[in-house]
Amino acid sequence: MIAAISEFANHFLGRGEAAITVPSFDGALKPNQALEQADILLACEAPEDLATDGTSLLLADGKRLARLSGHSATTVRTFERPISALASLPGGGLAVALGGTEVRLYDSATAETPAATFSQGLHAVNALAPGPDGTLIATDGSSLRGVGDWARDLMELGKTGRVLRLDPKTRAVTQLAGGLGYAFGAIAGNGGVLVSESWRHRLVSIAPDGVRKDVLRHLPVYPSRLSPARGGGFWLTAFTARTQLVEFVLREPAYRRRMIAEIDPEFWVAPRLRSGHSFKEPLQGAHIKTMGVMKPWAPPRSYGLVIRLGPDGLPRYSLHSRADGVNHGIVAAVEFGGDLVMIAKGPGRVIKLPLASLGEEARA
Amino acid sequence: MRETLTRLRYRYWPDHLLGEILSKRWTETAIPVILLLIVGFALSRSLEHFLSPASLADTARQAGEIGFIGLGMALVVIVGGIDLSVGSIFALTDFCALYLLDVLNWPVPAVVVVTMIVGGLLGAVNGVLIGYLRLRAFITTLITLIIYRSAYDLLIQRYSNAIASAFPDIPSWDFIGGGTVLGIPSVALVYIVIAIFGHIFLTRLRPGWHITAIGGSRRSAYNSGIPVRRTIALCYVASGVLTSIGALFFAARLGTVGGDIGVGLEVIVLTATVLGGITLGGGKGSVVKSMVGVLIVLLVTNGLTAMNARGGVNRMALASILLVAAMVDIRWQKNRTRIISKVYVAPTYHALPPPPPTEIGEGGPFEQNDRLREVSLIGLGRIEAPEDVILDRNDVLYAGSRHGDIIRFFPPDYERMEVFAHIGGQPLGMAFDKQDNLYVCIGGMGLYRIRPDGTVEKATDETNRSLYSVNDDSRLRLADDLDITDDGLIFFSEATVRYEMDEWPVDGLEARGNGRIICYDTKTGTTHTALRGLKFPNGVAVASDGQSILFAETFGCSIKRYWFAGPRKGDVEIVMDNLPGYPDNINLASDGNYWLALVGMRSPSLDLAWKMPGFRRRMAKRVPVDEWLFPNINTGCVVKFNEQGKILESFWDLKGLNHPMITSMREHRGYLYLGGIANNRIGRFKLDNADPNFVQYDKRWGKSS
Repeated sequence: MIAAISEFANHFLGRGEAAITVPSFDGALKPNQALEQADILLACEAPEDLATDGTSLLLADGKRLARLSGHSATTVRTFERPISALASLPGGGLAVALGGTEVRLYDSATAETPAATFSQGLHAVNALAPGPDGTLIATDGSSLRGVGDWARDLMELGKTGRVLRLDPKTRAVTQLAGGLGYAFGAIAGNGGVLVSESWRHRLVSIAPDGVRKDVLRHLPVYPSRLSPARGGGFWLTAFTARTQLVEFVLREPAYRRRMIAEIDPEFWVAPRLRSGHSFKEPLQGAHIKTMGVMKPWAPPRSYGLVIRLGPDGLPRYSLHSRADGVNHGIVAAVEFGGDLVMIAKGPGRVIKLPLASLGEEARA
Repeated sequence: MRETLTRLRYRYWPDHLLGEILSKRWTETAIPVILLLIVGFALSRSLEHFLSPASLADTARQAGEIGFIGLGMALVVIVGGIDLSVGSIFALTDFCALYLLDVLNWPVPAVVVVTMIVGGLLGAVNGVLIGYLRLRAFITTLITLIIYRSAYDLLIQRYSNAIASAFPDIPSWDFIGGGTVLGIPSVALVYIVIAIFGHIFLTRLRPGWHITAIGGSRRSAYNSGIPVRRTIALCYVASGVLTSIGALFFAARLGTVGGDIGVGLEVIVLTATVLGGITLGGGKGSVVKSMVGVLIVLLVTNGLTAMNARGGVNRMALASILLVAAMVDIRWQKNRTRIISKVYVAPTYHALPPPPPTEIGEGGPFEQNDRLREVSLIGLGRIEAPEDVILDRNDVLYAGSRHGDIIRFFPPDYERMEVFAHIGGQPLGMAFDKQDNLYVCIGGMGLYRIRPDGTVEKATDETNRSLYSVNDDSRLRLADDLDITDDGLIFFSEATVRYEMDEWPVDGLEARGNGRIICYDTKTGTTHTALRGLKFPNGVAVASDGQSILFAETFGCSIKRYWFAGPRKGDVEIVMDNLPGYPDNINLASDGNYWLALVGMRSPSLDLAWKMPGFRRRMAKRVPVDEWLFPNINTGCVVKFNEQGKILESFWDLKGLNHPMITSMREHRGYLYLGGIANNRIGRFKLDNADPNFVQYDKRWGKSS
């Protein structure tokens, strides 16, 4: 009874759960423009994921699987559906998710037939990572919406994300965790799995016995894929940032209902991977160009961010592309050679920054 | 169905009035008055003789006596202090009056004067200690309360018998105590006279203003040169004198010096003061508030007494009222501006049909193109916020800047620039009259005239006040664009009467018809409001018939026509509606059609929000302005239309890198000059097939250069 009253009061006054506060970019997340200075390796149509076994770098670009060397990409093979996730497996194997609904394992990138195929009950597989004992960890963002329809899942307050363990030997699919607010990105380590729960803006570690623990909470962004970093720790990408307006809209069911029903998804009040391409996009106060300039601190409809996490899962430093930048929608970041190679899905680019230069700049 | 209900609810329920009423100063007095009426009504229903003349006269006598003390207390509280010693001063001056009269047998006038002097001296002790020696008011008056009370107790031990045994029979003394004029008790009459003087004193005279200023901020008052110490000291003296006047009437009415006279009086008066709405922190208060507070307290105590409540209950009730009133007062003072700012913004229902297509390939008059990309720039980085641009017949280009200047650029290359005139406010729309005077609408200031030699004159900054508006709408808040008729009438738009110029997004969020069209007659110098209830009226242009004007409603996304003369005088007709963007300035084109700037384009998310007032109201409260959903004014276009409401062509800049925002355009000798209020440049665009000799001034006024 008291809970119901306080919930009503919170909703009425905009407090508690109904508050629309977004943490500021502070501390290790202090904004810089590092991503804007990144080298453009490749401009392509639909880059989606990166994978490396240490010697070569694979890129998923739409239906095409390509090998990146320097500034050029050579097509390795083409699938019948767009690739939604990619992972290199120990021993030279390769795992791909197609259209979010099917995961295939190959013994090598060029192998003719898949060694194993999983398709039972998969809806929106958006990230793959090698697990212990030759298994594969997959995150399934939503059980209701497809991989490309993530904005709708957010607007419907989706909480049907799952973390799955795929075992190639037994062909078994085990659910490690369910009911997540869009699981997007996972990495195995220390006996457990670290998962990005995008809509709840946090990193969760899931122990083998299913116990969940928040490793990193209250992020000002929607976290996505994870990859290992040299010297311990991880690279965490954030495909877009939170804004108070979106948080507010998420608390306005009537508006969201009508928006979903009546407006083209491209022009929703929702985070996007790219922005500023049509005047029909929602415009916020700080977006108004004054004296010909849009300010970088304007609330980002799209944003570019990669966070370097320490082994404890806490942020060390971060690389940004702010509201006035271009390299937005970073969905993948892997170390390859002496570089950090990233996909900026907003402009459709593969970009890189030399690892040696990172950290110092961000710490300065 | 639901949408219809929303529409009707927002159409007929005036949400915006709540904030406007609350932001009025008089609401703070209105609340105690309402309380008084409620108490009075309740008592008149529950007590039989409450409204009988005898009962009213008795109440008026008591109210008068306490009212004097209330006025003194009000003065002291407004100056930022408190006077707890009033009860003791009351007792002492009561004793003083009776001692002089009964024991020393002084004449009544001398008694009155000396008693008032004694009251003043007793107050002066407080005044000197608090004003000059800067002791705390609370502790000082608490001490004088005790000292005066002890003195009184000592005095009555010696003289109470002498006073009690005397029965003076002096008509003038009796008149003071119980006389009436036309049925009104003498004390009430004197009170009314002093209250009226007090009101004038506090609101119209310099010392009254000084008192309020000191209470508001002692340091600022000191820095402004107000004699702070003396003023404070004199307030306590006045409190003593006013208390002694109350005591005089009391002495004349009852003639006793009992031990409990004036005991607890300070609580009664303090309750009355706070209840009337005089803030304990100082700086705020009025005579009316003091009077209302005294009446409420008196009605409550008398009512309780009449209902046979015991003394303890009575005092308990008073103390509780004081507590509640002080609490409400503190909360209100602390949150007043916040509450007002939260309820002032009152969005309303505003539905627009889906806009016509603008996408390339969809056809239609608004199909996007890249024709404006070739704009060349004038004054890049040297001019800021040129909302409107205009050229005179010598090809000199004039534009406003946000520094409050009219800047002009000289032909042929428009590189040389100078400040033509400094006005001080943001110049918006501009127009030349027949005598080459430049009329300019200045946001926040009104309509100004600049003579050819650069002297600035105010044309008008006010119009007639509407009968039914709560906000004073006689001042011009946001004069926006103008045009001049052949008869010298200047029609100009005022975008909103509820917000200042920098708050235009709030008006857009409300989407209510807050704007109006105003007419200034250059011949008579008079101003009147022609049309009201318009959704951010903006561009104005005189139509070809010379009897009507075309005007744009920015957030109404429409162009309308208003006849100010001729057979259709007073008519308003829609020329175009459901535009895909927000129309701004309108100007004449060389081919007899009109140019229209679309300052921004509609977005589906805002169109939807405009249909959901509750959503916008909550957004206004919870989301900071920088994060609000705004009308998109980063991208715009220029279109040409005719009086039949047909769009003839449109000019777009797809990327908007060169010239991001367009609020106005002016055709001149085959070129189109573009202004934008958030820009740091003026655009110049070569028109194909335009009359290379067209000069708006010549065309408008039938001259040739």
